[in-house]
Amino acid sequence: MTMVNAMHILVIEDEKKVAEALRRGLEAESYRVTVAHTGEEGFFQLNSELFDFVLLDLMLPGRNGIEILGTLRKRGIETPVIILTARDGVEDLVLGLDSGADDYLVKPFAFPELLARIRLILRRGKKDPQLRLSLADLTLDMVTRKVTRGSEQIELTVKEFELLEYLLRNQGRIVSREMLSRDVWQVKDRSTPLDNVIDVHIARLRRKVGGPFDKKLVKTVRGLGFVLKEEG
Amino acid sequence: MRLKPRSVRIRLTLWYTAALAGLVLCFALGIYTFVRSSLLRQIDDQLERDLATVTRVVRDEPNEINELAQHGSVDFFQVSEGTQVLAETDSWSRFGLEKGVAGSGPGAARSWRAPNDRLYRLRVVAVNSPGHGYLVAVSEAEQTLRQSLASLALILLIGIPLSLALAVLGGYLLAGRALAPIGALAAKAAEITAERLSERLPVEDPLDEFGRLASVFNKTFARLEDSFDRLRRFTADASHELRTPLTAIRSVGEVGLQEKSDAAGYREVIASMLEEADRLNKLVDNLLVLSRADSGAQQMLPEPSDLSALAAEVTDWIQVLAEEKEQHLTVRVSQPVWADIDRTTLRQAVINLVDNAIKYTPDRGNIRVMVRYSPSGEAVIEVTDDGPGISPEHQGRIFDRFYRIDQGRSREMGGTGLGLAITRWAVEINQGRIELESEEGLGCTFRITLPASKARLRVKTSPDL
Repeated sequence: MTMVNAMHILVIEDEKKVAEALRRGLEAESYRVTVAHTGEEGFFQLNSELFDFVLLDLMLPGRNGIEILGTLRKRGIETPVIILTARDGVEDLVLGLDSGADDYLVKPFAFPELLARIRLILRRGKKDPQLRLSLADLTLDMVTRKVTRGSEQIELTVKEFELLEYLLRNQGRIVSREMLSRDVWQVKDRSTPLDNVIDVHIARLRRKVGGPFDKKLVKTVRGLGFVLKEEG
Repeated sequence: MRLKPRSVRIRLTLWYTAALAGLVLCFALGIYTFVRSSLLRQIDDQLERDLATVTRVVRDEPNEINELAQHGSVDFFQVSEGTQVLAETDSWSRFGLEKGVAGSGPGAARSWRAPNDRLYRLRVVAVNSPGHGYLVAVSEAEQTLRQSLASLALILLIGIPLSLALAVLGGYLLAGRALAPIGALAAKAAEITAERLSERLPVEDPLDEFGRLASVFNKTFARLEDSFDRLRRFTADASHELRTPLTAIRSVGEVGLQEKSDAAGYREVIASMLEEADRLNKLVDNLLVLSRADSGAQQMLPEPSDLSALAAEVTDWIQVLAEEKEQHLTVRVSQPVWADIDRTTLRQAVINLVDNAIKYTPDRGNIRVMVRYSPSGEAVIEVTDDGPGISPEHQGRIFDRFYRIDQGRSREMGGTGLGLAITRWAVEINQGRIELESEEGLGCTFRITLPASKARLRVKTSPDL
């Protein structure tokens, strides 16, 4: 992907370390990134340039995120916006979504999670009716609900199947435990202790998918989560 | 001027005095009226007797009437016919009593002030005998009666204010004595501040009013002291818990930076730091849950839910953990058990309990989740294990924040020390209660009891179904 075609993301975040980390992380994913450290600066950027996506911190000096978002939407600018907030009060989030945000992330968030949300929103509208998912010689058929590796069929439990489907759809990308908890187990509460459950399922899935073969496909990335990819 | 005195002592005295004054005044008035009327009745009785004597003479022996007037036993009387006076006693004319009869006909006894400024009681009666129409008047001096009444009034007028004055004084002193312990209590209570919450008010007699008041205060102080202690302990524990992963992040980072390493080595360092950051994150998330719980800001969406289904869902999720330890995790439900609950919070409570049971029960142990209605019709979820159990010394505090039976072990297993505190909150916010039954060495049972959903009970017992 060349820089010309790259998606252009505006990051409005006053905390310099966080902003810098976001910039580097997003650039590593081939996005083009502009950073604004204050609300005014961000607003100026939005008015002077076209962006594909905005990451908006809610608590900003000067102009707060909700105000910026409100003004933006009032002017009919429909650029997708993800709100970043340290407050996880339900009211704040509802207020944010009501003001026209597309999604929100509560700080501190895992970077893979942010990437997943961005992809999700950018892909929105485009149908993704992939009924056969595959990686290397691993295939998952959504219709017959059969999983094969090479010529051998792999028996999976329902949960393992859902887990593998999620990993396949996000193949090559790191998937955090939080994402799995929310998207596969449908538990939104971050204080629910599902991490051990997820680890066990991953371990079993790894045994079943990668067990009888030389190449392990399901990998653990310490401190971050899991990734499904070919050895490399 | 202040209408309502601020001092209870003065108010009490005033009330006391007012009540006593009212009582004494009524009493005095009653005595005066009673004495007066009974004295008057005595006079009137005498008048009637005199009248009877005179009348008898007038009727039976009219000629003897003058004899009666001269030497009779009746002091004051007059007999007349028309305008002619037939007979009268000396005293009658001497005191000018005829003026009292003049111009007035017969009637009931009445008091009359004679020209000599003395009061007389007068009674005039018409007496008819064949051929005659007499008017008989009798009288008695009221002087003695008036004097008695005057002395009585004097005694009362002097006595009442005097006794009231004594009552005020006595009341004031008594009220002062009665209220003195309150002042002492207030002074003592003022000394008990946040720093000296361990002190207590003296209780002389726990059964009297002041003793009860002091006991109530003492209980409040005890609760305050307890919550202050908890808060202090919680703050200390929380900073300790937060500092542990922070310390790890810092030392791992520092050492990692000092050591020369290759990319893989640095990766290892960063991953380790991220793991600690994750732990810190979880801790903060849990603290936030509890802080929302404390502020009552948790959004609740109670709806009739089947607890059996909830328990099945939770065990289904968590079954794999038991399998890893070759434990038997079973759900025992016989029927749907309905309760009005917020599923998210209660599910978390049940997950925590089952998760704990799996963690602390040794390999190949048994964990049983049972959902049923209690005999009294409440909804019950029980999580029972045959693990090591919890000794009585820990049972009381097991739901406290950061309370751990075995510090190192719990943390090693990824516990934040907040699980059971969150569980208890989650149960209580759903109007339920949680109990622990345990005997050391014989496992333990956590029991959640919730009010059963009324809506569903009605449907369940409806004859149509």
